[in-house]
Amino acid sequence: MAAAIDYEAFRAEVRAFAETRCPPEIRAVVATYRKLSRKVWYPWQRILFEHGWGAPGWPKQYGGTGWDLKQRHIFDEVMAECDCPPQYHHGLRHIGPVILEYGSEEQKQRFLPGILSGEDWWCQGYSEPGAGSDLASLRTMARREGDEYVVEGQKTWTSHAHESDWMYTLVRTSKEAKKQQGISLLLIPLNSPGISIRPIRTIDGWHHVNEVFLDNVRVPVANRVGEEGGGWTYGKFLLERERLGGANVAPALRNLERTRELLARELGGERHELKRAMLEERLLLAEAELRGAQALGQEAIAAVMEGRPLGLLPSVLKLGTSVTFQHVAEVALDAVGERLAPRFRPTDAAGPNADAPGIEWVQNYMYSRVRTIYGGSSEVQKNVIAKQLFGS
Amino acid sequence: MPFTATPIVGGDAFDQACRIGQEADRQLALIDDFAGQLACLRRHWDSLAGLGWLAVAVPEEAGGAGGTLSDLAALAGGAGRGGLPLPIASACGVIPHLLADQPELLPGLAEGQHRIAFVPAEAAVDEATDVPRLALDGSLTGAVVGIETPPDPTHLLLVLDGAEPVLLLLPASARGIAARHYLRIDGRLAADWRFTGVAVEPCWILGRGEVVTRRAAEAREIGALLTCVEAVSAAGALLEQTIDYLLNRVQFGVPLASHQALRHRVAEMYVEYENLRGLILQALRAAGAGDGLSWRDIAFAKLRLGEAGRFIAQSAIQCHGGIGMTEALPAIRLARRIMMAEFEFGDRTFHAQRLLNAGRGAA
Ligand SMILES: Cc1cc2nc3c(=O)[nH]c(=O)nc-3n(C[C@H](O)[C@H](O)[C@H](O)COP(=O)(O)OP(=O)(O)OC[C@H]3O[C@@H](n4cnc5c(N)ncnc54)[C@H](O)[C@@H]3O)c2cc1C
Repeated sequence: MAAAIDYEAFRAEVRAFAETRCPPEIRAVVATYRKLSRKVWYPWQRILFEHGWGAPGWPKQYGGTGWDLKQRHIFDEVMAECDCPPQYHHGLRHIGPVILEYGSEEQKQRFLPGILSGEDWWCQGYSEPGAGSDLASLRTMARREGDEYVVEGQKTWTSHAHESDWMYTLVRTSKEAKKQQGISLLLIPLNSPGISIRPIRTIDGWHHVNEVFLDNVRVPVANRVGEEGGGWTYGKFLLERERLGGANVAPALRNLERTRELLARELGGERHELKRAMLEERLLLAEAELRGAQALGQEAIAAVMEGRPLGLLPSVLKLGTSVTFQHVAEVALDAVGERLAPRFRPTDAAGPNADAPGIEWVQNYMYSRVRTIYGGSSEVQKNVIAKQLFGS
Repeated sequence: MPFTATPIVGGDAFDQACRIGQEADRQLALIDDFAGQLACLRRHWDSLAGLGWLAVAVPEEAGGAGGTLSDLAALAGGAGRGGLPLPIASACGVIPHLLADQPELLPGLAEGQHRIAFVPAEAAVDEATDVPRLALDGSLTGAVVGIETPPDPTHLLLVLDGAEPVLLLLPASARGIAARHYLRIDGRLAADWRFTGVAVEPCWILGRGEVVTRRAAEAREIGALLTCVEAVSAAGALLEQTIDYLLNRVQFGVPLASHQALRHRVAEMYVEYENLRGLILQALRAAGAGDGLSWRDIAFAKLRLGEAGRFIAQSAIQCHGGIGMTEALPAIRLARRIMMAEFEFGDRTFHAQRLLNAGRGAA
């Protein structure tokens, strides 16, 4: 049997690394809620990669760390506490594990190294204008022609498509089969002829998401992961892997701490006494909720490590933490709103106030509304929970 | 028949304001550059000035329409419903009230010759030391930020606190004024101003002392009340548009409107909306009864706007799903406007503080 892991020593090692090796300018981006783009993420991934920590969740054989779940959790927690960016997820946490599980050896050799080193950037082409919560109704068609698929259709809400090289894409390869069974998973280079990408501005003025149009795009059959018609299963596998995402409450707690510092800074003096007292109370209530969630997160990790079923924990964590995060963002908005809300402009706009100190809190508030919409909306999570509680 | 919101004060003025608002909102959404946005807003400003909006609250003897608060509420309500990104509460209500003692200025104001930005005594500043001050030698120093303005402002109307409050009408082109103009996220124009030893000419000082304090306080109530009218009217339109979206968006083979979770959320939005509307109607009625403005009703209404307005805006975004996170739909632009309205003429703690102070005073 392997020697028992000293988790506290591990935590200290990760912390020392984060504090000394993550460049201050990258940590500042996280600490001030500026947009994480490939330009910021890539150098950090490079540093992790060169240290051998490029892929905490992958097996050693493919360049991963081989850490157990608890170590990975500690790693994520410490990163958040130190304002290091969470690793760019689409390659490492989403499509990487699917390729590891279902891809051919040739695909592993071809795609995993670029993800690991950060050379290749991936985005997720699942949602469509008509297929959001009801993803299985997606209509983007892939018609087989010899060694190629010809893909025709539209994706939307595609985060980071404008800075990505590849899109892992759910497409319909059969109209005859049951909705879920006619879906396949294709890896599509975004520089393929026939692809056009159009930005969508979100309410906070960011360019984060895109529409991706596919007009007779030719994709080699060799870029299909697994079986034709197996796409739904692989997509669900991916979501399963992500189910523990909510267990990491550290970013939300760090956000709360920063908000508390903001109150002290922004609302000093007698004039703001009432506001400060009211907002501090709301923060305390949020902190209590987050502490509860943190305890549940540890429970969830222990359950997986001991092979016990997770039950409803992932839904409970996602539902609760997303709402609490929003509450904290509202507290911050209320602290700075009179001074800064009237100055808020699209984040990438140049000119006055684009960088007014503290302006990021207004942006953070607006963008925080997405938390209860993506990654399984609150309504969908409640449906899942209720269905199990009622047994039907 | 799905829900249709009832205006606080309906009629031709309401309809006209709503139409202009929708047009401006639609056009603005298609323009990317600041010069183009400014030109678009200027066009709409000129047309509403031409229609006599700025004259509504000016007395008849000064060339105005001699309208009441209820006439202003019709304009503010229509503007709110249409999503008009111009400072209607200030331009039509607050500024005419502050200038009510200035017979020589009123005709020009009514005719739309001036485009005045209002800088209240509690205007936001980045540093406490920035609060604008008029020195004994008559020079003005300080800096204010995030002030909503009409397009191409010709003047700034400042209320200065201090031992002796002062009402000051400053030409925007005066020496020593540095301005930064920009378009806020909700499509409204704003500016940051810095005053560096601006030599204030005696004729720019419109009033001093007690009378300024009283007028400024009344003007703020008018501003807060009209902002509430505008926002609740936007909320009514938002509710309609959310219902419409849910009736038409199909997922899992059925319209979203068939899900009880969403129906209940909309029902809650409606309850909040009606409650807020009730408070605002009450404040307007009290004002119409001739006892002046009831500051307490207005404070409660603005406090509620903070709570209810945000709930409605956030719920609308949630019900829309992904598209609720974008600027693409007029509904979401209304939602964002409602969120911003909370911070104008005193946020919720500002008004809570007033109510608490009064309660303590009475006890
Ligand atoms: C900023 C952002 C980034 C995103 N990034 C990506 C990405 O990179 N790749 C990608 O593929 N997708 C992405 N998405 C899409 C996201 O996953 C979808 O928005 C989400 O699945 C919801 O789908 P929808 O927007 O179509 O909303 P809808 O499904 O139309 O839902 C609208 C509303 O109805 C509710 N609802 C739906 N079904 C039910 C039900 N059965 N019972 C009760 N209520 C219900 C929802 O909860 C929501 O409130 C992103 C979205 C956003 C906003």
